[in-house]
Amino acid sequence: MSDDYSAKLADLKTRRQKNLAMGGKEKVARQHERGKLTVRERLDLLFDKDTFVELGLLAQQQAVRGGEVDSDGTPADGVVTGHGMVDGRQVWVIAYDFTVMAGSMGAVGEQFKAARVRELALRYRKPIVWLLDSAGARIQEASGSTFAGTGFLFYDQVVMSGVIPQVAAMLGPCAAGTAYIPGLADFVPMVKETSSMSLGGARLVKAATGEDVTDHDMGGSQVHCYESGVGDNEVADDAECIAAVRRFLSYLPSSNTEAPPFRDTGDQADRAVEGLEKIVPTNPRAAYDVKRVIKAVFDRDSWFEIKAGWAKNIVVGFARVGGHSVGVVANQPQQKGGTLDSDSADKAARFIRMCDAFNIPLVYLMDVPGFIVGSQVEKEGIIRHGAKMLYATSEATVPKVTVIMRKAYGAGYYVMCGKGYAPDLIVAWPFAEISVMGPEGAVNIIFNKQIEASDNPDATRGQLIDAIRAQINPYLAAGWAMIDDVIDPAETRRVIVRGIEQARNKKIDRPWRKHGNIPV
Amino acid sequence: MTEVKAELVGNVWKITAKPGDDVVEDDVLLILESMKMEISVTAPRAGKVKEIRVKETDVVKEGQVLVVLE
Repeated sequence: MSDDYSAKLADLKTRRQKNLAMGGKEKVARQHERGKLTVRERLDLLFDKDTFVELGLLAQQQAVRGGEVDSDGTPADGVVTGHGMVDGRQVWVIAYDFTVMAGSMGAVGEQFKAARVRELALRYRKPIVWLLDSAGARIQEASGSTFAGTGFLFYDQVVMSGVIPQVAAMLGPCAAGTAYIPGLADFVPMVKETSSMSLGGARLVKAATGEDVTDHDMGGSQVHCYESGVGDNEVADDAECIAAVRRFLSYLPSSNTEAPPFRDTGDQADRAVEGLEKIVPTNPRAAYDVKRVIKAVFDRDSWFEIKAGWAKNIVVGFARVGGHSVGVVANQPQQKGGTLDSDSADKAARFIRMCDAFNIPLVYLMDVPGFIVGSQVEKEGIIRHGAKMLYATSEATVPKVTVIMRKAYGAGYYVMCGKGYAPDLIVAWPFAEISVMGPEGAVNIIFNKQIEASDNPDATRGQLIDAIRAQINPYLAAGWAMIDDVIDPAETRRVIVRGIEQARNKKIDRPWRKHGNIPV
Repeated sequence: MTEVKAELVGNVWKITAKPGDDVVEDDVLLILESMKMEISVTAPRAGKVKEIRVKETDVVKEGQVLVVLE
């Protein structure tokens, strides 16, 4: 090897090593002090061993319109990009490096590196993951009216929506320029304490409105995973966050053109479900935890709940049954009696549409006393929100199985995939109650005059209620073949497996349209 | 002091705690009846019941304070 040849190789090696070292020892130490991992440690956790292929390692800040360039260079321009394997499947990544100019989005990092990942992930139809830990736009490169030429990232995300899975892992701040990334993503885990997201960071908020607030108080997981519903799952630290990303991806196909991956769980597909009699009270007024039902019915250890802390009166998440991915939508009697309201309808509608987009069959576990009614919820637009869930359930053409466990009342029965919403199989447990409204309410409306005219109104009302109650058990509906069967709850797992199997090659043809007009 | 509020509109069906009671987290304080369901209102944390601001059969609004813990 000539001297010149080895000198050139040595130069390459030096350049690589410099950029692999990120923002340098001091900045890396500060990152660790904050309780965070570095971007490269995160990538080691995200990808199967030695599978990461980096594109753009040697990128760095370039002079913009005669501006100055950071004298140290900006290793990888503050964002590490490329692809690697997650459980043997290719996944693309855009990972912000907070040790380099606070992970800010520069012209090179955003317009060339991140844009290339979005383009290639879509070209190959592979999932895309953002690891977010970024101060937002790099203002010194973005100020001035050349802002007019930015914003492609969100446009791209919308084009990718429903084509490839998009995950935004919140591992640090994410303000302004980056906050719509999670806003448009399919899954948004948030690390407790260290992560935050907001349309304007604390300093911008102070300047714009005078409000004094910290990034954490404004947009931490305690806000977004419990109050706003923008975050999905709150996690303890970076490692748990990345484990959640891998887990999420394990239920999804690489794109909407594929079936979700099968994973042998070793749990026999048609085994009887044990212990439900100890979980579900037959007294229809009594509450219980529906998550215990889910864990009993689906494959052992396969339950992965989404948005567990927000709109808790509906429970949604992924599970497996006989190794196959399913999306579960279940009413939660333990929260607000399982009544549906605006947030729970939004939560369910969003989840149902994700499952439908990615070919994941839906299982509805129904025990719903109806939608909440009254003046307060009308002001919130409960009709508009409830309509989203109606829309999503109607629109979904993946296999759908409905199990009416106990209550099936009013529009609650509709949005939980009642007969009119094209379930492939709809069954009820023996203590199911199916009715437009509760017997008490129905009697007051239908027999109002009769009760008023009675010598003993209370006794008359009681008799009429009993008469109606006798009609709402599932056997009238089964007698009319409006539901497919009444089953022993222990048979639930077997019935779900067979219902999905029956519908596996399902094809639904609908009239052509550009797209429907979902109420938002 | 912690105010325990109604999470949805309903009737007060049964009051199971009384002022002065020591409660632990998740103890049932009272039961609302709404939307055909018995909805338990539980203590968000351990403490002593300072005040119960409703009586049985009262109609309560979402967000209304039902119980105050010391």
